[in-house]
Amino acid sequence: MSINTRTLYWLQSGGCGGDTMSLLGLESPDIMEILKLLNVEFLWHPSLSNGSPSKHRSLIEAILSGKQPLDILCVEGAVIRGPGGTGMYETIEGKPKKDLIAGLAKQAKVVLAVGTCASFGGIVSAGEVEGTGLQFYKDKKGGFLGETFKSRSGLPVINLPGCPCASEAVSGVLTAFISDVSLPLNEYNSPLQWYGLLVHQGCTRNEYHEYRVEDNDFGKKGCLFFHMGCRGPLTYAPCNKMLKNRRSSKTRVGVPCIGCAQPVFPASEPFFQTPNIADIPLELPAGVDRAHYMAYKGMAAAAAPERLKNRETMI
Amino acid sequence: MMQKVMINAPLNRVEGDLEIRTEVDGGRVSDAWCSGTMYRGFEKILAGRGPLDGLVITPRICGICTTSHLTAAVKALDMIAGVFPPPNAVRIRNLTLMAEHIQSDMRHAFLMFAADLVNPAYRDVPLFDEAVRRYQPFKGETVIETIKETKKVLEIIAIVGGEWPHSSYMVPGGIVSNPASGDLMECLLLLKQYRSWYEKRILGCSLERWLDVRSSSDIDVWLEENNLHRESDLGFYIRFAREIGLDRIGRGHGNFISYGSLDIPEGTKVKGKGKHLVASGFAQGIKVTDFSHEKILEHVSHSWFMDYNGGRHPFNGETIPYASGRESGKYSWAKSPRYDALPAETGPLAEMITAENPLFTDLVSRTGPSAFTRELARISRPAYLMPAMEAWILESVSDGKFYTSPEEIIEGKGYGVTQASRGALGHWVQIENGAITHYQIITPTAWNASPRDSNGTRGPLEEALIGTEIKDPSNPVELGHVVRSFDCCLVCTVHTVNRGKEIGRVKVGAAIL
Repeated sequence: MSINTRTLYWLQSGGCGGDTMSLLGLESPDIMEILKLLNVEFLWHPSLSNGSPSKHRSLIEAILSGKQPLDILCVEGAVIRGPGGTGMYETIEGKPKKDLIAGLAKQAKVVLAVGTCASFGGIVSAGEVEGTGLQFYKDKKGGFLGETFKSRSGLPVINLPGCPCASEAVSGVLTAFISDVSLPLNEYNSPLQWYGLLVHQGCTRNEYHEYRVEDNDFGKKGCLFFHMGCRGPLTYAPCNKMLKNRRSSKTRVGVPCIGCAQPVFPASEPFFQTPNIADIPLELPAGVDRAHYMAYKGMAAAAAPERLKNRETMI
Repeated sequence: MMQKVMINAPLNRVEGDLEIRTEVDGGRVSDAWCSGTMYRGFEKILAGRGPLDGLVITPRICGICTTSHLTAAVKALDMIAGVFPPPNAVRIRNLTLMAEHIQSDMRHAFLMFAADLVNPAYRDVPLFDEAVRRYQPFKGETVIETIKETKKVLEIIAIVGGEWPHSSYMVPGGIVSNPASGDLMECLLLLKQYRSWYEKRILGCSLERWLDVRSSSDIDVWLEENNLHRESDLGFYIRFAREIGLDRIGRGHGNFISYGSLDIPEGTKVKGKGKHLVASGFAQGIKVTDFSHEKILEHVSHSWFMDYNGGRHPFNGETIPYASGRESGKYSWAKSPRYDALPAETGPLAEMITAENPLFTDLVSRTGPSAFTRELARISRPAYLMPAMEAWILESVSDGKFYTSPEEIIEGKGYGVTQASRGALGHWVQIENGAITHYQIITPTAWNASPRDSNGTRGPLEEALIGTEIKDPSNPVELGHVVRSFDCCLVCTVHTVNRGKEIGRVKVGAAIL
């Protein structure tokens, strides 16, 4: 390992490993090429490394004692604190995994929360295991490490939500960190580059939304916002700019956006239906005024061209 | 006098989710305990939610079996709604599940299982340098190619389902998308590309040639036939595995279960076994009987859940976590599913046995199952799936009908069973007053990595470890081979069950990466 090599430890906690799967899907360059180009060495990845248990144990000891420098800590999955704050719902060699997370976070130059679970708690925070994100619990600051936590480079935990998170955000943040480039963050400590636009932006159903040509069942071409529970106009994530697996997105094929990058994901309302009053959704697109929106949508529906009303236009 | 030592192996290929404890007597494993070390509580998360919410929540149990969970969830809802998806929706659902399998099989074999072949324990094996060249983590030639090719084939799922992992594109009555013929042609190209790589790199021959290997002695003929066979990753695996004795470890109970999977759509030219392409069945050794989900009971006597007597069918299951430490005799967040009161292993080998596949029936009838045979089944499976994938893509370019709108789901009881990449997966669901009241999941890893049941019988993986020779207690690589041959998807052990709780994953090997 040369002196310029940066070290990365990838930790999986209360999650599903889906963000690792998403990372393996990176292309141009792919994850193995990126590691080489950036001169990053995985000290450990639970799925890909092959060290023996004793080797892993001594690695952890070396990091915790400061003998082995740790540049980048990536955490995938929520921190499980239950039952009753003991952390015994998730253990590693009999000890709470949460304690390991706290120890590693103290040593790392930068900490990335990869995915919604690590960022905000995600699915696991909806259950009984006292799951939380690293520095947020849903949309409240604090989380596991606390509001004032800073990694050794002086940064808060960088949150890269999405279920799974767009892998381009992971490679982009790594590249910026290695290159000493700082990235502007939003109020949830997520880089604006990937979290400053809505899922709605770039959706191929946009024209249907524009003219309020809506559908109320699956399998159709119209907009999914008004009846089908689509949260694309409310969710900041790059799904329709950086396409999933370079091919498509949920909304393009007709799966209403479930808001999986939102701090409050999963929302408590049932998926795939839109709570509304007088056919106008209770929650409007981000930043929109209700009275103006109702007037605009009424006129837009009246102006809708036949090719949209007849669903002739491909999506 | 023999010395007894304990070896605790958190076999991390999946961070900390499965820990194996073994007792070693005279250099051999004399007892074993397999612990799922994480509980996430999925069941409680599902209880009280909207009727379709399993389509969003359950794929997130496991990042690599995500399409499998979606399949089980939607089949339960099809049953509750009483709706039959159009044949083309069945084809596309199958296509995506198979795409998930053929990526998972290669990722597991060459990123996770093969990583143990380059363990320093084998540095004196003549084939070692070649193994390093192929399988060294992050750097090996096959590792790099596998990453490149598997991500491409997953694009099939993104084209028809929006993304992988974690789409919810299957809904009761079919699928949400309307793949146009151009979309399907892109899928066809991706499949052809993957097949071409698999034939050249992995098999060293055509699918047809490998499928013609029907017995143990046919393997030897195939190996000797030409250098492309010997030098392919399959050929190399067979030679290396024999050299280090993978065919002599990991035997276990010898019971197999498959729920059956990949429904045969109306009007297809693809031939299956009964209603499925992948047969259902339960086997003791190679004796196969019909499968019925009613014979499944789950035990919690050794699992960190509140006790009940004996076992319960998943429609009546409950999951009340009880983190008591080891004092109570409980040691895992996985429950113990049993079939007709017996433990059973599941996965590609179980599929081959219940389908009475000649090659694997021959191998198991000679020596029982082994780590070698399990992984061989996994490496071979894409050869059995790809021809049907191609046929179903082509057959889908017909009437453009992919969805039948069902009545709104207000109440009912149903189950969805399928084969995930690592084996039998089922969801058992009850809905009342338009909300989920009961949701129980049994994952493949719960079958394979289960702890003891209320009769004290070991789980399949525990039993398979018994007798394993351990040459170096500080580097128990042999345990890794046996455990990883079950492809424990760790995260998978999630036991999701009734009123939301769930579970554990195993940390080994897995796929879950």
